[in-house]
Amino acid sequence: MAFNVLSIPKRIYKTLANLRTGVVLLIIVVVVSALGTFILQRPVTEPEKMQAAYSPQTLRLLDRLTLTDVFHSWWFLSLLVLVSLSIIFVSVERFPNAWRFYARPYRRTDAHFRSANPYKVELPTKSAEQGLNAAERAMKKLGWPIERIADGSEQSLYSEKRRFSVMAVYVIHASLLLIFLGGIIDGVFGYSGFMSIPQGQQRNTLELKNGKKKQLPFFVKCVSAGQENYADGSPKKWWSNLAVVADGQEVSSKQIVVNDPLIYHGLRFYQASYWIDGTKIDGLRIGYAGLDSKVVPLELKTGQPVELDANTTVTLVEFLPDAFVRDGQVFKKSDSIENLAFGLDVVNRADNSSTRVWLFPAEGQVVGAENLKFQFQNPKAAKDIDFAPVTGLEVSFEPGQWFVWAGCLLMGVGLFAAFYLVHMRIWAVPVRDAEGRLVLWVGGAANKNKDRFEQKFSELIDEICSEIDKTAPAARISAQEQPRHELKLAGVK
Amino acid sequence: MSTRARVTPIEPPAATGGNALLVLVGLGVAFLLITALLGAVKSGGNLYTESNLLYVALIFYAGAGALYMGFGVTGTAKYVNFASISTAIGFVANTLAVAHRWYMSGRPPFASIYEMLLSFVWTLALLTLVAEKKFGVKIIGSITMPLAVVCVILMQLLPSEVRPLVPALQSTWLHVHVTLAMLSYATCAVSFALAMMFLIKDNFSTESFLAWTSTLVAGIYLGIVATRFERWGGLSVTAWDVEHKSDIFLGRGVRLFVTIPELGWLFVIALLGALVPLVLYFMARAKNDSAYLRIADKAVFVGILLQLVVLAAFVMRTKDAAYASPFQEGLYPTSLAASPFILGGMVAGIFASLLYLMLLWRRNDLQHLLPSADTLDRVTYKTICIAFPLLTGMIATGAFWANRTWGSYWSWDPKETWAAITWLVYAGYLHMRVTRGWRGRRAAYFAILGFGVVIFTFLGVTYLLPGLHAYA
Repeated sequence: MAFNVLSIPKRIYKTLANLRTGVVLLIIVVVVSALGTFILQRPVTEPEKMQAAYSPQTLRLLDRLTLTDVFHSWWFLSLLVLVSLSIIFVSVERFPNAWRFYARPYRRTDAHFRSANPYKVELPTKSAEQGLNAAERAMKKLGWPIERIADGSEQSLYSEKRRFSVMAVYVIHASLLLIFLGGIIDGVFGYSGFMSIPQGQQRNTLELKNGKKKQLPFFVKCVSAGQENYADGSPKKWWSNLAVVADGQEVSSKQIVVNDPLIYHGLRFYQASYWIDGTKIDGLRIGYAGLDSKVVPLELKTGQPVELDANTTVTLVEFLPDAFVRDGQVFKKSDSIENLAFGLDVVNRADNSSTRVWLFPAEGQVVGAENLKFQFQNPKAAKDIDFAPVTGLEVSFEPGQWFVWAGCLLMGVGLFAAFYLVHMRIWAVPVRDAEGRLVLWVGGAANKNKDRFEQKFSELIDEICSEIDKTAPAARISAQEQPRHELKLAGVK
Repeated sequence: MSTRARVTPIEPPAATGGNALLVLVGLGVAFLLITALLGAVKSGGNLYTESNLLYVALIFYAGAGALYMGFGVTGTAKYVNFASISTAIGFVANTLAVAHRWYMSGRPPFASIYEMLLSFVWTLALLTLVAEKKFGVKIIGSITMPLAVVCVILMQLLPSEVRPLVPALQSTWLHVHVTLAMLSYATCAVSFALAMMFLIKDNFSTESFLAWTSTLVAGIYLGIVATRFERWGGLSVTAWDVEHKSDIFLGRGVRLFVTIPELGWLFVIALLGALVPLVLYFMARAKNDSAYLRIADKAVFVGILLQLVVLAAFVMRTKDAAYASPFQEGLYPTSLAASPFILGGMVAGIFASLLYLMLLWRRNDLQHLLPSADTLDRVTYKTICIAFPLLTGMIATGAFWANRTWGSYWSWDPKETWAAITWLVYAGYLHMRVTRGWRGRRAAYFAILGFGVVIFTFLGVTYLLPGLHAYA
C-alpha cells in the first residue's frame, strides 16, 4: 500500500485512543516525576545549593537536559497534554457503547439472556397475571421502582436502581480533564510572585518567579506587621494589616495571617514571611543629659537629626542587630537580633566636629561619649525600640483554580458513584419452563458488590413467594413438591 | 458487607500441643513489662507517661506479631485468640498514648513525623482488629503487627517532644488532610497484607521470589560495599554538620567523608550472606534438585540475622560519634541523617527478606485457615476501592490547604509529586482490573507495589528528599 498522508492523523488518533498507550504514557509520567523529585530542582533550590550538590559538569548536563526544572519543561507539559488527549480519545472510543447501555436500558429479556444470567429463579405460578401481580406487590413493598413492559399480549416487569452509576467513570475522567484545564489556564494566564513591603509604605511591583518584575494597577500598603512567639521563642503567628490603595483611595483592607490571605480582584496576597529591617529603626526612646545633668527623654529615628542645643544635633545613623566591642571599636557579629548596638552621630556646627557614639542596651554600655558634654542613656526596655518590620507577601493570580476545585468536587461525586452506588436490575417474566409448566422467571443483575446484591435478590424472592402463597393457596402444593426457589449462582465471582 | 459467611475459615485441624510458643511469648511479655515497671518505679518517675504507654503497646504488638506468625507456621488456632487479645491490649495502650499526647498538646497528634507515625500505628491496629473480627481474615496481623513494631521502633529514633504548631500548620485543613492521609495509608497497608495472604494461598512457586529477594538484597549491599568500602575494612560515610543539620562539603559538590573502622567488613559479610541463597538457587536450577532450595531458605533466615546485626552495628557506630577523615585533618561527627540511602537500603533489604520468609509458610493447613483465594482477591480489591477515594480526598484537601498557605495548589513538591504517583499507581491497578480483567497474582503484585510506593511517600520522601512539606 502506498504511503497515505491522510491516514497519519487517524493513526495518531487510533494510537492515543488505545488504553495501552495511555498506560505507557502514565508509566512515563510516573518515572519522570520520580526523577524530578530525586534531582534538585530550580528555582526552588538556590543556585548556591545546586552548585554545592553537583559538580559543574554534572550541573551543566542536567541543565542542558532541563532535568533541573522537569515540571516546567516543554516536554513534561507535552507529556501531560498527550495524557489528556489519551483520556479524551479513549473515552470517546468507549462512550457510545456505554451511552447506548445507559440511554436504552435492556428491558425485555430473551431466552438466551434468561438462561445465561447468573441470578435467576423460577417460581411456579397459576397464571401469568397472578405471578406478575405478586411480583409487583413484593417489589413495591421492598422499594423497587416498577415498569410494566407490554410486548404485544405478553407482559413482564422491569425494575432498576441507580443507573447513573454506569456513567460515573466518565464523570471521573471528565473531572480529571477539568482539573488539567484549570492547571493549563493558570499556566497560561496565571502568575505568582513575591512582594516585600516595609511597615508604613506602599508598593505595586511584583517580583515574579522568573526574575522579571510586574507592575500592579494598584498599590498595596503595609499599615502594620508583627510576629507573635510561643514561650520557647519559636514563631506562633505572623500578621500584617494590609490596605489596597487605588487612585489614592483605600479600597480594601484586611489583617492577613498565614492561612488567611487578602483577595482583591482575583489576586491573592499571602503572608509568607516577616523580618526586621536590619538597617533601620522607626523609633528609639533614650535619655540624654546636658551640662545640668538632668536626664531628658529623646526619641530618635534612623536618618533624622534631632537638635540637642543651638549648635548640636544627634542622628541615629547605624543599627547593628548583633555586635561586640573590642579595643573601643565596634564590630558586627551576625544578622540575628542578639546584642543590639545603635550608632549615633553627634555633630557640632560650631567647631564642625562629629563624634560617633555607640549604645549597647544589653550590657548597659555607652562607647565614645567620653569627650562630649552630653551624656546618653541606653533604652530601658524592649518597648523603647520600634524596629522597622517588613512583611513578605506571596502574591498569586490563579484564574483557573475554580476549575480545579470544581473538578475535585466532581471527582468526589464520581468516585462515590463509581465505587459505592450499585446499578441493580430486576426482571420478572412469565415463561414456560423446561417441562412446559408456567413459571415466573425472576432474574437480577448488579454491576458491583455482588454479595450485597445476592442478599437483596433473595430477600425479594422470599417476598414474591409469600405474595404468591397469599393470593393462591393452591399454588402452595406445587411449590412444596419441589424446592421453592433455588439461587443459581454459576459464574458469580 | 455480607462476606462473613463465605470468609469464615474451615475449622482448623485439632491443635497438637502448641503451648510452647504461648508460654514463651507470655513469659517474654511479662518479663519485659516487669523489668520496665521495676525500672520506672526505681527511678520514681510517673508511670502514666507517653513513652511508657508506647513501650507497653510495643511489647504487646510484638507479642501479637510473634503469635500471629506462630499461627502462620503451626496453624494452632489458640494462638490467634491470644494474638487478638494481645493486639487489643496494645491498641488500648496505643490509644492512651494518643490521648495523652492530645491532652498534653491540646491538639490532635498530627504535627510531626513522630505524631503521624503514632496515629498511623493506631489506625493500623484498629483496622487489623476490624479485618479480623468483621471479615474473619485472621492472619492479617502477621503482616500488620510486625509493621506496627517497626514503626514504633522507628518512633524511638525521632524527636518526640511536643512542639507548638508553626504558623502554616494552624488550620482546620490540617486535621482533615492528615486524617484522610492516615486512613488511606492504613487501608493501603491492609490491602497489602491481604495481597500477601493471597500469594500465600495461591499456589505459586516461591523460587522466583527467592531469586528476586536475594538479588535485591545482594544488590543493595553490593552497592554499599562498592561505593563505601575503604582500605583496611572501614566504611566511609558522609560527615555531618550538627549545627547546620547538613552534610559537610569540601568544595562544590564534594562531600567530606569519614571512615568508620572495621564496619566495612560487616557489610562484606552481609553481602556474602545475601549471595549464598542466590548461588544455591542457581545450583538448584542447574542440578534440578530442590534440596538446595531448602538450604537456601535456611540461608535466607541466617541472612536476615546478619542484616539485623549489621544494621544494629551501623546505627550504634554512626549515631553521635566522630571519626577521622582521610581527606582532612581532625575528627568529624556523623549521624544517621547523613546516610539516609544506606539506612533506607538496609531496612528495605530486611523487609524484603522477611516477606520471603512469610511466603514460605504456604503450608497446607495454613491454606485451610485462610479464606479462599478468590475471596482474598476480592477483599483486596474492595480495600483499594476504599483507599483510592481516601487518597483522592487527601490530595484534594492538601491542594486546597496549600493554596491557602503557600499561594499555590500544586507546586510539584516531592511530597505532592509522590502522592500523585501513589494515586496513579492505584489508578493503574483499578484500570487493569476493570478493563483488562487483571485478577489474582498480577493484581496482588500490583497491590504490593502500591503499598511500597505509599511507604516511600510517607517515610522515604520525608527522610530522603528536601521540600516544603518538611514537618512530616
